[in-house]
Amino acid sequence: MDQKSLWNRISDGLGIIGFTPLGLVLLIVLALLPFVSPFNQEHILRWLIMGAFLAAQCVAFDFTAGYINVVNFGFAAILGAGAYTSAVLANTSPVISVQPGLSPWIGIWIGALFAGLIGFGVGILTLRLRGIFAAVMAWFVGIALLGVANNLTNITRGPMGMAPRTFLETTSNRPYFYIILAMMLIVYITLRLVVRSRFGLAFKAIGQNFDAARASGINPTLYRVFNFTLSAFFAGWLGGFYAHYFGSLTPQTLMHTSKTVEVLALAYIGGRGSLWGGMAIAFPFVFGIEALRSNLTDLPGLHLVIYGVLMIAIMVYYPAGFAGFYAWAKDKLSGLLARARGQAQPIEAP
Amino acid sequence: MLLDAERVIKNFGGLTAVNRVTLQVDASQIVGLIGPNGAGKTTFLNCVAGTYPPSAGKVRFQGKETTGSTPEDMCRMGLSRTFQIPRPFPMLTALENVMVGAVFGAEHGSKKPARGRAEEALKFVNFPLALDTPAQRLNAVQLKRLDLARALACGPKLLFLDELASGLTPGELDTMMALILKIRDTYGVGMIVVEHIMKVITGICERVLVIQYGTPIAEGTPREVMQDPKVIEAYLGEEVVA
Repeated sequence: MDQKSLWNRISDGLGIIGFTPLGLVLLIVLALLPFVSPFNQEHILRWLIMGAFLAAQCVAFDFTAGYINVVNFGFAAILGAGAYTSAVLANTSPVISVQPGLSPWIGIWIGALFAGLIGFGVGILTLRLRGIFAAVMAWFVGIALLGVANNLTNITRGPMGMAPRTFLETTSNRPYFYIILAMMLIVYITLRLVVRSRFGLAFKAIGQNFDAARASGINPTLYRVFNFTLSAFFAGWLGGFYAHYFGSLTPQTLMHTSKTVEVLALAYIGGRGSLWGGMAIAFPFVFGIEALRSNLTDLPGLHLVIYGVLMIAIMVYYPAGFAGFYAWAKDKLSGLLARARGQAQPIEAP
Repeated sequence: MLLDAERVIKNFGGLTAVNRVTLQVDASQIVGLIGPNGAGKTTFLNCVAGTYPPSAGKVRFQGKETTGSTPEDMCRMGLSRTFQIPRPFPMLTALENVMVGAVFGAEHGSKKPARGRAEEALKFVNFPLALDTPAQRLNAVQLKRLDLARALACGPKLLFLDELASGLTPGELDTMMALILKIRDTYGVGMIVVEHIMKVITGICERVLVIQYGTPIAEGTPREVMQDPKVIEAYLGEEVVA
């Protein structure tokens, strides 16, 4: 009896930060993977890092799309703005005109703040717009940011790309995996805590029915702008990781709308408004896509087609996505278990 | 005086939807607002509740001038409303829907936990289903009860009921009227009731204001108003009166 209550207490505690016992086990497995063959190979470690990077983006993206119901099409560009800010601040090389030489570990926070500021601006700009109009406005901001990054050639070198300093001297991928895994967890747990509070209720109310939310006393300006700012802050922070991990930045590979669409597709397939759905499926997806890509080198962009087809299928036939499927399956399973137990009892009784 | 709306005007371009409507409501008083379709009843409510600012005129609520306040401010001051077409939050459960009102409404600072107040409001309106039913699975009548519970959970002093009784069967109508009276008697809430069903107006309203083309044409007790030739003309046409 005591043991059970302890178990319940642990499981409740995990629930607050958004984990089920199963989720925690999967996370521990994920954390141990880099020590197990074949995952300890450098190129597979890179896939794992990409997976965690995409997973964290999905969480930050779903925080806006899944809750206040505005698709931030400028997401990748905001992420890129954070990446460039951090990269330029860390620069020591004479190829670009400024050499502040700041540590990347500090730079990514400044990049995050700058991205948060842009998010704040996008939040204000899209305040009076609903649904698709807000999405288009955010998209325009993203295109403008891409243009700025392309044209500020004296500090970004534009399309020629820049080579930011990396976090570490090492060429091993393993430490980077733990950095991005920790970042992913910070993004997820922080946003999860926000969503569990009254803020989450306000976000959902605004997203689902703007007028009724206002008539219930919710100030939409406050919550929408806060939501955009926080989502963009984390996007910029993750962008900083990208810059100082890959050590190469071009506007096109980081800030293009297709990058937003990749995250959007994953977040939608994972399940809108769940936060964890996109995060969970990002890993198997990256592996599937990379495996496809390495076997079908003559079909570039195939992964985008697959994303698109899957996303359309999910949106039309199963809008709750993977998270919804999981909830359904769990429900069915516990129902079956309960019935099995119920049937077993009469046999034991006599 | 709980609400004092004075000569409220609302123009949409060249169209005057509400034309100098004056209306007062006291605590525990139910005032009916009637008129033919398109008379400007809901527009008047919207002007008072802050959905959009009136073009002219004054609104005073609990002694404070509130002309042009936002809907969220009005709600936090104690004005709640239901919607003509009930507008819940479809992906939230029934309880969560009502929680929104309890958490952010006029009693947002209350020491009593929001969840308890939400459950109380749902019980008060006799919500017939499990509290964790998603709102998108409710039928029209259940949605009306849910919307009413949400409005109540805000902790209103003044409640606008916009065609709450339309679409109900005669049996449901009686229950709904009893419920409205129970809200008034329990919480001392003042109400403006917009309604087409005369049985509701005569059954629960102390006073009725009739508007046509946005302009007030009669005011008085339900009985007085319904004998007023101008009102009969507005509803039934000129020949009947002649």
